Amino acid sequence: MLLSNDAFFRLCRARDLLGQVREQPLSIKDVAREAGISHYHFIRQFEALFGVTPHQFRIESRLNQAKQLLALGRHSVTEVCMEVGMSSVSSFSGLFWHRVGATPSLYRRRARSMVQVPGNYPPDLFPGCLSLMGRLPASAFRNFREAPLVGVPLKST
Amino acid sequence: MRIKLTSLMVDDQDKALKFYTEVLGFRKKHEIPVGAYRWITVTSAEGPDDVELSLEPNANPAGRTFQEAMFAQSIPLAAFEVADIAQEYTRLKTHGVVFTAEPTNAGPVTIAVFSDTCGNLIQLYQPN
Repeated sequence: MLLSNDAFFRLCRARDLLGQVREQPLSIKDVAREAGISHYHFIRQFEALFGVTPHQFRIESRLNQAKQLLALGRHSVTEVCMEVGMSSVSSFSGLFWHRVGATPSLYRRRARSMVQVPGNYPPDLFPGCLSLMGRLPASAFRNFREAPLVGVPLKST
Repeated sequence: MRIKLTSLMVDDQDKALKFYTEVLGFRKKHEIPVGAYRWITVTSAEGPDDVELSLEPNANPAGRTFQEAMFAQSIPLAAFEVADIAQEYTRLKTHGVVFTAEPTNAGPVTIAVFSDTCGNLIQLYQPN
């Protein structure tokens, strides 16, 4: 698929709208209308461009915002739930557990235990560019010809 | 000093590994668990086999902000050389890849730009 400049910018605009937290969240149809794309084409083009449906993008966006707030430890789970635009704490907790693998309160406790500088995100959960490299086994850095993957604990796909 | 490793931030490492190997045709070299994430690198099937591209999690809010802003401004974050850009363009479109620029003569190179579905625009180029 070849997107025109206009369609590309409309989809980027839609992504911004989906990432915004509002008291009255826009429906996917509303976002498509705001972007000026028919509902059917909007879902198809959005997924092809961003690799997720608009609905999935909104959920991931909310969870990312929730993880940030929880890691900083300044808000309760209920406050975080409201901050990311969800009204039911039980739905929020269930979704968070399903996608992240921990309850929001456990994630908050774990994150806080990793914080080295108050107010900063723990690097284990919010790594910076190439920072994972420092925790690899030495074998990962041998020249390919010297060590052609022998002994490297690869995970199969 | 050598240039042997470069990286791209991706919004989902599983999705990225699938796209970069199954769609683009790169080969997985490393997939090593590191805490909540993985150190994933790929190499080109056309070589050199010791130059790696790391597919890094863009979990850091600063990284996400940067990536989204660059994408919205249509700025590619990496460029891969191809021998026949017209052929690659056709091949990738049959895989459902979205292009934001079709092969275009830009003087010394012909370029095209596509979305990697992981938050990045990637430029293909063929030296003229």
